[in-house]
Amino acid sequence: MPDPIIHTERLTKRYGSARGIEELDLDVRAGEVFGFLGPNGAGKTTTIRLLLDFIRPTSGRALLFGLDSRRDSRAIRRRIGYLPGELRLYDSLSGVELLTFFAHLRGLPSIDGGRRVAERLDCDLTREIKALSHGNRQKLGLVQALMGDPELTIFDEPTLGLDPLVQAEFFKLVDELRAAGRTLFVSSHNLPEIQRICDRVGIIREGRLLAVESVSDLKRRALRRLELRFAEPVSPERFARVPGVRELVINGLHLSCVVTGSVDPVLRAALELRVEDVISHEPSLEEIFLAFYGDGVAGGPPSSATPTTGAPTEEVSDVA
Amino acid sequence: MLRSVFGKVVHDQWRMVLGWAAFAAIWPAMYVALYPSIGAIGDMQRLLDQMPPAVREFFASSSLDLSSPEGFLNMELFTFVAPLLVLAYTVVVCGGATAGEEEVGTMDLLLANPLPRWRIVVEKSAAFVIGTIVIGIGMWVGAAAGAAAVGVDLDLGLVGQAIASSCLLGFALGGVALAIGAITGRRWLAAGVALMITIAGFFLNGLGALVDWIEPWRPISPFYHYIANDPLSNGLDAGHALVLVAWALVGGVVAVVAFERRDLSR
Repeated sequence: MPDPIIHTERLTKRYGSARGIEELDLDVRAGEVFGFLGPNGAGKTTTIRLLLDFIRPTSGRALLFGLDSRRDSRAIRRRIGYLPGELRLYDSLSGVELLTFFAHLRGLPSIDGGRRVAERLDCDLTREIKALSHGNRQKLGLVQALMGDPELTIFDEPTLGLDPLVQAEFFKLVDELRAAGRTLFVSSHNLPEIQRICDRVGIIREGRLLAVESVSDLKRRALRRLELRFAEPVSPERFARVPGVRELVINGLHLSCVVTGSVDPVLRAALELRVEDVISHEPSLEEIFLAFYGDGVAGGPPSSATPTTGAPTEEVSDVA
Repeated sequence: MLRSVFGKVVHDQWRMVLGWAAFAAIWPAMYVALYPSIGAIGDMQRLLDQMPPAVREFFASSSLDLSSPEGFLNMELFTFVAPLLVLAYTVVVCGGATAGEEEVGTMDLLLANPLPRWRIVVEKSAAFVIGTIVIGIGMWVGAAAGAAAVGVDLDLGLVGQAIASSCLLGFALGGVALAIGAITGRRWLAAGVALMITIAGFFLNGLGALVDWIEPWRPISPFYHYIANDPLSNGLDAGHALVLVAWALVGGVVAVVAFERRDLSR
C-alpha cells in the first residue's frame, strides 16, 4: 500500500482542563474522501490544528505526505487547502482581494482556479467580505481552500450555513475531486453529510477515536427512529419479532421504534395494516454512538480498540 | 498591494496612518504658529524661573528657556504630546500585530498558507516602522508649515531629530507591545502593559531628575534615552538612539521566538 497522506501516531494533545485528543492513530489514504465524524467538542478541530502545526502535540506525532507536521510544516502547507471551522475572513477585503493575497502567499500565478470554483458555487467575489452573509462567506472559504487545486484539502464543517442548492453543488465538486485523485479530509458532526460524500469515516468522541469504518458498512448498520400511525389498533406481537427493531413502544394507534439496517421488514409488517402516516428521524450522533459503541466509551480502553474497519461488534449494540 | 503580509498591512492602514499623520501635524503647527503671539511669554518665563528647580526639571529635561521657539516647543510639544502621538500608533498596532488576528480568528486562515510564522511578525513590524515614519514626517511638516506661516526662525533640522527621537521611543515601546502580544495572544493586554511601562518610564525619568536615589535608575526608562540629551537643542545622540533601537530589536526577537513556539489561540 502506498504511504498514507495523513498518518498520526498516538497523537495526543492535553490542555489544562479542557479536553484535547488522546493517542489518536489515524491513516488517510491517497485519493480517498475521509470523514471525521464526532459531536462538537470531540476534538476534531484540535486534530486538524495539530496537523497544520497551529498547535503542538503533547506527545505522539503526525506525518503528512510522509513529512513531519512540525519540522516540515511549511512544505506541507504548500500542498494543502484548508477551510477553518468557525471561519473568519478579512472583512476589509473583497473576495478577489482575498484570493489575490492568498495566491501571492501560495506562489500561484493567478486566481483563475479560485474564480472557477467561485462560479460553480455562485460566489460573488466583487463585494466586500463584511457585506456578505454567513453562507456567502462560507462559499468564499471553500473557494480559497480549493483555489490552488491542492493535493489534500481539509474541511472543518464545510457545509455550515450553506443553503441546500449550494450544498448539492459542493457535494458534486467533492465527487469530481475524488475522481481527479485528490484527497479530502472532511470534519463534520453531520452523519448524512459524511455518508453522502465520504469513502471512510473516523469516528471521534471525547478526544478518542472510536472506530474507522467504511461508509458502506456504516450505511448497512444505519440507524433510524421510525414513527408510524395506524388507522386501527396495533398489537405489539406483530412487530416484536421483526429483525432490526428495538425500543418498540406501542401506544394505541401509534408505534415508535428504532430500526437498525434496512427498514424494509418493518414496513412490510406495517403494510398488513392500514397506515396513516410514516415519520423517519435521523438519529443524533449520541444515539448512534450509544447503539454502535456502547455507553462505556468515555472510560473505555484506549488502545485495545485498534481503529480498523468494522471493529465494533453486534453484541455491543444488543446491550444498548 | 496585496502581495505579502507587509503589503496587506499597508493596504489596511494607509488611510488611517495618513489621517493620524495629518492629526499629528496639527500640534507642532499650532504650537509654532502660536509662539509669536504669546504676548505674555516674558511673564511665563518669570513664573517658570520662580518655580522650584525640581518642578521645572520634571517637565523638561533642559533648562526651560521660553525666549526661543525651541525652548517653548521642548516644554509644550516634546515633553509629552509628540511621544504620545507616536506611541498611540505604535503601541496599539504592535499589540495587535499577531494577537489581533488570533483574537479576531483570522490567524488560522493566514497561517494555512505556506509562510513561516516569523515572517508575519517581521513583515508587520516593517510596515509599522513605515507607518511611524509617516506620522513623524507629518509632525515635521506641521512644524515647518507653522514656522513658515508666522515667520518664526526654527531649526527644522533639529526639529526633525527631536521627532526622530520620538519615533525611536515609539519603536522601543512598540517592541514591548509586540512581544507581549506574541506571548499572550491578547492585543489589549499587550497594548495596556506597554502603556503602563510608558507611563512608569515617564515618571521614572521625571522623578529621577528630582530624587537622588532614583537618579541612577533613569537609564532603564526609555523616556530618559528619548529626551535626556535634549535632541531639539543638541541633536540626536547615537548612544541614546541605540538604546531605544535595542529595546525595539529585543522586543521583536522575543516576539518572533514566542510566536514560533506557542500554540495559537482561536
